[in-house]
Amino acid sequence: MSMEEVPQGEQHSQADEADLLVPYDVYTSNGVEIGTQQKSASMRKFIERIRHDGLYVLDLRETDRRIRVAAKFLSRFPPERILAVSQRQYGQKPVRMFASVTGVSATSERMVPGSLTNPNLPGYVEPKVLVVADPATDQQALTEAVSIGIPVVGLCDVNNDTRNVDLVIPTNNKGRASLATIYWLLARELLREQKKLEAGQAFTPTIEDFQAPL
Amino acid sequence: MSATELKSCTSCGVPLVGRGSAYFPCPQCGNTTVGRCARCRDQSVEYTCPACGFVGP
Repeated sequence: MSMEEVPQGEQHSQADEADLLVPYDVYTSNGVEIGTQQKSASMRKFIERIRHDGLYVLDLRETDRRIRVAAKFLSRFPPERILAVSQRQYGQKPVRMFASVTGVSATSERMVPGSLTNPNLPGYVEPKVLVVADPATDQQALTEAVSIGIPVVGLCDVNNDTRNVDLVIPTNNKGRASLATIYWLLARELLREQKKLEAGQAFTPTIEDFQAPL
Repeated sequence: MSATELKSCTSCGVPLVGRGSAYFPCPQCGNTTVGRCARCRDQSVEYTCPACGFVGP
C-alpha cells in the first residue's frame, strides 16, 4: 500500500461512497479517519496515506466494513452479555448511549479490578464479549477478558497495539465527535442485525446525542 | 473409548488449553468458529476464517 500524499477527496469515487453506511463527508467532518503521528506495526494495514503534517490517515472503507462486521459479530450474543467499556472521558457518554439504545451492559467509570474474574465482588459480571474504546486506556478490562477467555472487539487508533484484541475497528478513538459517530453507527447496525430496526427505518438518536459534552 | 474433539488455534494449530485463549464464531460469516491461543492473541497473529476468508484481527 502506498502512503503517498493524495489531495483529500480525489481518491474516493462516488461508487465507493454509495457503499458506505453514512456519506463520506459525515466521516470526515467528525474526524473518524484522522490518526496520530505515530503508527504501530499492527495498524499499518489500515493506514491509507500520510498527511503533509505527518498525521496518518485511516482507510475509511475498511473502517466502514469493520463496523458492519462488528455489528454482525455482536448480534450473535445476547445483548445483556455484551460489555462495553470506556474509561476515556470522551468515550463515556457514547458508551452509555450505546448501552441504553441497544440494551448491552456498560461500564463507563473506573473498572474495578476483579469485575470479570472475582465472583465475590458486588459488581461482578460475566460477559461473553467485551467492547473496548481504547485497548491502551481500558487495559484492566482487556487483561481480565483475556483471563476469562472471551473475545474482545476494540476501537483502535493508528498508534494502538492490537495485542489481545480479536476484532479491530480502525478509527480515531481520541476525538469527541469521532467516538460518538462510531458508537452511533455501531448501535444502528447492531439494531439492524438484531431485526429491531428495519433497513429503511430511521434511527431516531442523532450523532450529537452520542457526543460527550465539552 | 470415544475421541473428544479438541479445539485448536486457527492461526498456529496448537490445542486451546489453559488461560488466555478464546473461541468465538467468525465475525463475518458466523458459520465457523475461530480459535485463538494465548500466544497468538498476545502477538496479534492474523487468523483467517476457513469458510469466508475473513482476515482478523
